[in-house]
Amino acid sequence: MKTIKNIFLVSMVLFLASCEKEIDVEIPLTTEKLVVEGAIEQNQPPFVLLTRSSDYFAPTDINTLKNIFVHDAIVTVSNGTNSVQLQELCTENLPDSLLDEISVLIGISVIDIKTFGFCLYTTLNTSIFGEVGKTYTLSIQAEGHDLSASTTIPAPIAMNYYYYEDQPGFSNYGYLWFNQTDPPEYGNAYRIFTQRKGKDGRFLPADGSVWDDKLLNGLTFNAFIFRGHEPNSTAVEDNNETSEYFLQGDTVFVKFCTIDLPHFEFWETFETAAFNNANPFAAPTTVKTNIQGGGLGVWGGYGASFDTIVLQD
Amino acid sequence: MVSKLLKIKEALTIQSFFSVVGMTGFEPATPRPPDVYSNRAELHPELLTYFASRLHVLSLNFARSKIVISCRVNRFIVILFLVFVAATGAFAQKKYTISGYVKDISNGENSIGATVYIKELLKGTTTNAYGFYSITIQEGDYTMVVSYVGYKDIEKKVTLNKNLQFNFEIEEDVITTEEFKVVGEREDKNTQEAVMSTVELEVQKVKSLPAIFGEIDVLKTIQLLPGVQSAGEGNAGFYVRGGGPDQNLILLDGAAIYNASHLFGFFSVFNADAIKDIKLIKGGMPAEYGGRLSSVLDITMNDGNFKEYKVDGGIGLISSRLTVQGPIKKDTASFIISGRRTYIGDLVQPFISDSSKFKGSNYYFYDLNAKFNYILSRKDRLYLSGYFGRDVFTFVNKDDGFSMNTPWGNSTVSLRWNHLFNDKLFLNTSAIYTNYKFEVELGQNDFEFKLYSGIRDWNAKLDFNYLPSILHNVKFGANYIFHKFIPSNATAESGDVEFNTGDIVINYANDMALYLSDDWDINEKLKVHGGLRYSAFQHVGPFKRYNNDEFGNPKDTVVYDKGETVKFYHGLEPRFTMRYAFNDANSVKASFTQNYQYIHLASFASVSLPTDVWVPSTDLVAPQFSTQYAVGYFKNLKENKYETSIEMYYKDMQNQIEYKDGALPKDNAGNNVDNAFTFGRGWSYGAELFFKKRYGKLNGWIGYTLSWTKRNFEELNNGLDFYTRYDRRHDASIVLTWELSKRWSLGATWVYATGNALTLPVSRYFVNGQLVNEYGERNWYRMAPYHRMDLSLTLKGKEEKKFKSSWNFSVYNVYNRQNPYFIYFTSEGNIYEGSLDIMAKQVSLFGIIPSVTWNFSF
Repeated sequence: MKTIKNIFLVSMVLFLASCEKEIDVEIPLTTEKLVVEGAIEQNQPPFVLLTRSSDYFAPTDINTLKNIFVHDAIVTVSNGTNSVQLQELCTENLPDSLLDEISVLIGISVIDIKTFGFCLYTTLNTSIFGEVGKTYTLSIQAEGHDLSASTTIPAPIAMNYYYYEDQPGFSNYGYLWFNQTDPPEYGNAYRIFTQRKGKDGRFLPADGSVWDDKLLNGLTFNAFIFRGHEPNSTAVEDNNETSEYFLQGDTVFVKFCTIDLPHFEFWETFETAAFNNANPFAAPTTVKTNIQGGGLGVWGGYGASFDTIVLQD
Repeated sequence: MVSKLLKIKEALTIQSFFSVVGMTGFEPATPRPPDVYSNRAELHPELLTYFASRLHVLSLNFARSKIVISCRVNRFIVILFLVFVAATGAFAQKKYTISGYVKDISNGENSIGATVYIKELLKGTTTNAYGFYSITIQEGDYTMVVSYVGYKDIEKKVTLNKNLQFNFEIEEDVITTEEFKVVGEREDKNTQEAVMSTVELEVQKVKSLPAIFGEIDVLKTIQLLPGVQSAGEGNAGFYVRGGGPDQNLILLDGAAIYNASHLFGFFSVFNADAIKDIKLIKGGMPAEYGGRLSSVLDITMNDGNFKEYKVDGGIGLISSRLTVQGPIKKDTASFIISGRRTYIGDLVQPFISDSSKFKGSNYYFYDLNAKFNYILSRKDRLYLSGYFGRDVFTFVNKDDGFSMNTPWGNSTVSLRWNHLFNDKLFLNTSAIYTNYKFEVELGQNDFEFKLYSGIRDWNAKLDFNYLPSILHNVKFGANYIFHKFIPSNATAESGDVEFNTGDIVINYANDMALYLSDDWDINEKLKVHGGLRYSAFQHVGPFKRYNNDEFGNPKDTVVYDKGETVKFYHGLEPRFTMRYAFNDANSVKASFTQNYQYIHLASFASVSLPTDVWVPSTDLVAPQFSTQYAVGYFKNLKENKYETSIEMYYKDMQNQIEYKDGALPKDNAGNNVDNAFTFGRGWSYGAELFFKKRYGKLNGWIGYTLSWTKRNFEELNNGLDFYTRYDRRHDASIVLTWELSKRWSLGATWVYATGNALTLPVSRYFVNGQLVNEYGERNWYRMAPYHRMDLSLTLKGKEEKKFKSSWNFSVYNVYNRQNPYFIYFTSEGNIYEGSLDIMAKQVSLFGIIPSVTWNFSF
């Protein structure tokens, strides 16, 4: 993905001495919206992070950021037969032993959770844990907002196989390849995560983690993924010239999920927006949402399948 | 899975189209008006004799019918009769035609728009695009004057008692002292023609202006005119009176150029050495032009020197040019071949080390213009011209095995035949081919991705010019274009597996038009241009319409067979311009024009890119339609040394096209591009001021435009009105050239424009620990104003016999203004650590850029 950005950079550098400066932009006042980041996976409890949007240049110190969490919301998840209200849990009040599980569930590293302090809505009521094929409806009442969303957990599809290849020009670095067969009907979409054993604390979405079958319908094909990073990572290996590759010899856990199309559209536009930021040739990408009632974010179901690969040429 | 529905529609062939509109019986139907000027002409002795004989016959007739007429009544009838005869003297008096060509004496090239007038009548005409003129007046002794800006006037006494042919050869006026030009300068073209919102530029003037990297660019020069808005750097698209860049018809020797820019828009495809004449029509479009809403930029290539061989060239910082021209047969046939190529990418190559991961990356563009013309006889002349240009961009990144190769560009061929049926009727027949294509090949590891898009036209045109009398200039003709659109044809494969990128959806269309117009001098004060254009557009099969669900996945398709009509549109486009002259130097003008546009350019990005695709009007996309009203006051001062004008316009544009919110380029694969469109309305109004000093040591112009441009789309911006990106409240330019001495001359330009309107985020939120932008109302933000001054200094070498050379030094952006190119928001740090820093950054492209070019000719 970075490469395509490079194309624009190189084309400019070849000809132009472009010049950049920081400017002040006066932003008009906007109304605050609620932001949902919620997911449900088979055999897992649903969880919802509920935050609010803020002015673009609002302060970014920790105390201000803690205030982006919305408390005391009524958050309900229903699967058509059961309806369960989620409880608010704040990590400050939880024992350290539980943080690992929270980290895996919400996809935020333990370190970040500890320094920052998270609040999330979840439940231990197993009757609402994810089941394949079911549709889950989320409803939220908070601070005068009334939001709703629904998602399904599609049947998981396993990859045919995974393999590793050195990237030409590199020894011991390369992409993680896979061979996949897409079902014959249109409308399948996927999201993939990896976790390097002993290196990553959790499953990280690949860089470019989603795809659908618009161009791939019914095909069996090989493709590769770019290694994903912790957001805003400052680690050397996440910022050097091999940052998009995996290292030969690593053991990698892969979580490969099928997702429904509205869920796919959120991550598709989310990743496009991140990619297009600072690209003058692209129109600003509005990140789509499947939240109804004026909210932002996503409520997404995952049909997950898991594999473990030892990376060997 | 995919149901195929066959729709049978009546296929409308071209023949039936022409028979419907009565092509065969198509003739100028305007009745000949009485020639009111002739009442000022003295009665000729011969005529009196003629009267007398007619009177005799008349009275005989009265006598024979045995009607008793009193003396008084009789006298009354005689007077009436005399008045009638005097008033319709034209019918009684003999009229003859003077016609011919006006050429440049030095090279035999046709002079376009030269004035040919009759001193005694204070009336005249201008030469057409092929240098031809024709004047039909009563017999008598006259003084003809041929005048052309920058050339010496020619006066010729003629005794007109039969049809005459004169070819004039005009000579360049090297001494441009003010005194000289005042003599005999009778050209009030600006105030006197029933033409408004039209500007002609002389290529020599364009060449004397400063240019970035010394690359003379006619597209950048026309953006210095009022009413024409530049998009700033890195964008060759221009915006005329609130219209989009696809609403400009850019013609090179009659062939449409679909993408007039090189290097993502930094340079235009027009090599100034190959160009003779530039005409821009931004309103009051005559009926002979059509197919676009906003403007016509009609560029004529040089014909080639009829007299002697000549070589011109230039060596610049980033490119070089070479032009060779000469006679194939003196005064009968000539050729010109002109080429240009950039080499900055090649110059950089040696400095990229072999180990660099970008080794093998390069960029260059080149242009080739060629033209041959052959005078078969006094009545027939053939032109064959062509243009071929390519941008080639190769990008290699060895690190990740990535390579990209993208050639793109235009090619055109125009074959034209001028034929004089007689001294009053001129015909130009053209056969034109134009092709624009864009290709991209991406490869990484086993992956290969190819994208191909383009448009191809086969165009046939008949243009008649009929000059029945000095009071009329009638034009009529027909045009047929067959379009082939390839919106985006993608193939992708990984190893042996070919991805399903859908069938190639190619669109075919028949594009037809008939027109008739007349420039009519009703009397000395009032002159009108009235025209009517009938245009029609037929989208024909083979065609496949994908009906998709909300996620863009195919639901079903409708298949049209070859030749089957998918959709037929047609309409009348009235064009009307009138001039009322208070005197030679003062006039008011008004125009009303309606235009249809059947082909459209849809752009994802905010700048025009070679990837933008042209699409036809289809079953979903209705043609764009505009109505423009303009009024203007024109005044010339000091014997036409100064031209001034103020014009005001209002333009309404229906069926404007944008992509829907959230549409992505990849959605085009295996789909109809127009499925992603949404439609709305646009309008623009404003005032344009123009002040020009036409000649003298110091000349140039000042232009200023005040305007508002808005759009309204039901599906965009919550249905609220929004300003377009290139809405410009203020747009000003100053252009000066100053002859310091015989060898030194100075050129300067200064431009100012209100900043572009942009959509920026207004709030932020976090998902997965990453910052997400939420955008505000469409184009709510204004970038800082754009302004810039450029200077150029030209030093002519000492004149040797044959070899001439000059140095051109130019400085772009003299005071190093950091004009905004784009603005982006970025963040650094980690929100969870509270170290997040959010910034708005403005990127500027060009600071101060000096350059030098050496030009030569022999």
